[in-house]
Amino acid sequence: MNTRKLNRSYPFWMTSPAIIIYTLFFIVPIFASFIYSFTNWNMNSINSPVFNGLDNFRNLFSDGVFFRSLSNTLLFAFTTTILKTVVGLSLAVIVVQKFIGNSFFRTLFYMPSVLSPMIVGLLFTAILKQEGLMNNILNSIGLGQLARDWLGNYGTAMFWIIAIEIWMWAGFSMFIFISGLQAISKDYYEAADMEGASAWLKFRSITLPLLAPSFTVVTTLNITGGLKVFDLVYSLTGGGPGFDTQVLNTYTYRAFGMGLLGKSSASVLILSFVVVLITFALNKMLKSREVDA
Amino acid sequence: MSYSLKMKMNKVLLLVIVVAVSTVFIIPILMMLLGSLKTQGEVLLLDLSLPSAFRIENYIHVLETGSIMRGYMNSLITTVSSVILILFCGSTAGIIISRRSDRTSSALYYYFIFGLTATFNTVTTYALMLKLNLYGTYFGVIMVFTAINLSFAVLTFSSFVKGVPREIDEAAIVDGSGPFTLIFRILMPILKPVLVTNLIIAAIGVWNNFMVPLYLMNSSAKMTIPLTVFNFYGLYARDWQFVFAALTITILPVVVLYLCMQRYIVEGMTAGAVKG
Repeated sequence: MNTRKLNRSYPFWMTSPAIIIYTLFFIVPIFASFIYSFTNWNMNSINSPVFNGLDNFRNLFSDGVFFRSLSNTLLFAFTTTILKTVVGLSLAVIVVQKFIGNSFFRTLFYMPSVLSPMIVGLLFTAILKQEGLMNNILNSIGLGQLARDWLGNYGTAMFWIIAIEIWMWAGFSMFIFISGLQAISKDYYEAADMEGASAWLKFRSITLPLLAPSFTVVTTLNITGGLKVFDLVYSLTGGGPGFDTQVLNTYTYRAFGMGLLGKSSASVLILSFVVVLITFALNKMLKSREVDA
Repeated sequence: MSYSLKMKMNKVLLLVIVVAVSTVFIIPILMMLLGSLKTQGEVLLLDLSLPSAFRIENYIHVLETGSIMRGYMNSLITTVSSVILILFCGSTAGIIISRRSDRTSSALYYYFIFGLTATFNTVTTYALMLKLNLYGTYFGVIMVFTAINLSFAVLTFSSFVKGVPREIDEAAIVDGSGPFTLIFRILMPILKPVLVTNLIIAAIGVWNNFMVPLYLMNSSAKMTIPLTVFNFYGLYARDWQFVFAALTITILPVVVLYLCMQRYIVEGMTAGAVKG
């Protein structure tokens, strides 16, 4: 059968619902943000934004809170990515082995990643507040002097937001590593055993290099997820205490709440730019390390 | 030490580590479940003790306040509608793009894939909704949910249909089936695993999403469950027994779906991730 005749059985018009919805409700807003970010657009002048050049960006970069949000976002994204990778890989290496109940543990570790981050945030509020579970446990084991309002000051608040993000997503990374580990041929390990290689040597010179594609996927997904964090911060601290745990998305929502549409749109634009930049740089770096198995 | 004894020791050590990690995963959930059955006095202690009596009344009270039930219904409406649209639009677009062999279809493929790295702009979407008179409507939120989930659906359908032999299509075409029959009667049963994966991923994503309704829904009458629960928490901050009951009710459908369809979820999320 020729291509022309075949193509008639796959008419382009059938893709139009997808194209229309995707274009109108996803692409158009993105392109609109390139225009509106350079205007004085706000709730009062919603239909008559006036071009004001780089004012929004100048405004953002002279705002200490914005800088704080940007650096918090980067700190959050990089720390969680590294730790989710390390924890995910460690869990994968353990549960990929055969022992009783290993599928139970896989199910359990993965479960938080299907929960709503909003719900997880509220749940952990009950653990981390002054009268919460964490302090009660510390008191009951005689470490009462360590008890504090965990979400009430910068260091501990940021620490816990990061820890909870890892709690949620380590299982997801674990599963990507599991499928990576299962794809490695047993022959490599048998050959290494014959040479009398130690477990650590096998891990370093067989497992790690051959897992490179999984590393690429895990880091790319985690870094984008981390840069776009919102729900968890919003429900745990609301960006506080003060503006200490503000990230780009909560900063945007705050500016949006004040009616500064041009400014908040510029803030999303900067976030998108950071996401694209880091994803591309990371992909280039990681792809070059992948080897053919 | 003999080899087998060493292996046994290793296994025991692994099991100890895994059990220790598991408690970190179980404790928050356990606290929520136990707390949801306690009296207000008991739950304020925020510990892991058993409730003196299992107070199912807490759940009844939460459901009777009305807001949670309404949030549930709203989430059901938006999730079901969005998922149907995502599956319909995503599968047709994905299959056609992958089956046609010309420049336009590969351009379209990249056009859709772009959505996987692009950042959804909440602020301009809000303005668009105002312009189109869709702000605060179910329809607007459903459209946005569909739009942000289409990239993944198109990607997975088009990459999986590549694995289906073209001879199947050709046989159907020779037998005189049109594009609808071909896609929905012939190919869809073969693509059932992708369909189920997309169904679950989209359903969980929409059900859990907090940001879209936060920006695009103004009335509490139409808020979906994550937003409703957040407001509920604001009102009942001292009644943890009710908050815990509300949280339990919210995550229940997702957890049940996860436990029943775990294989599909995990394979789908990882396969989609690896192919992306």
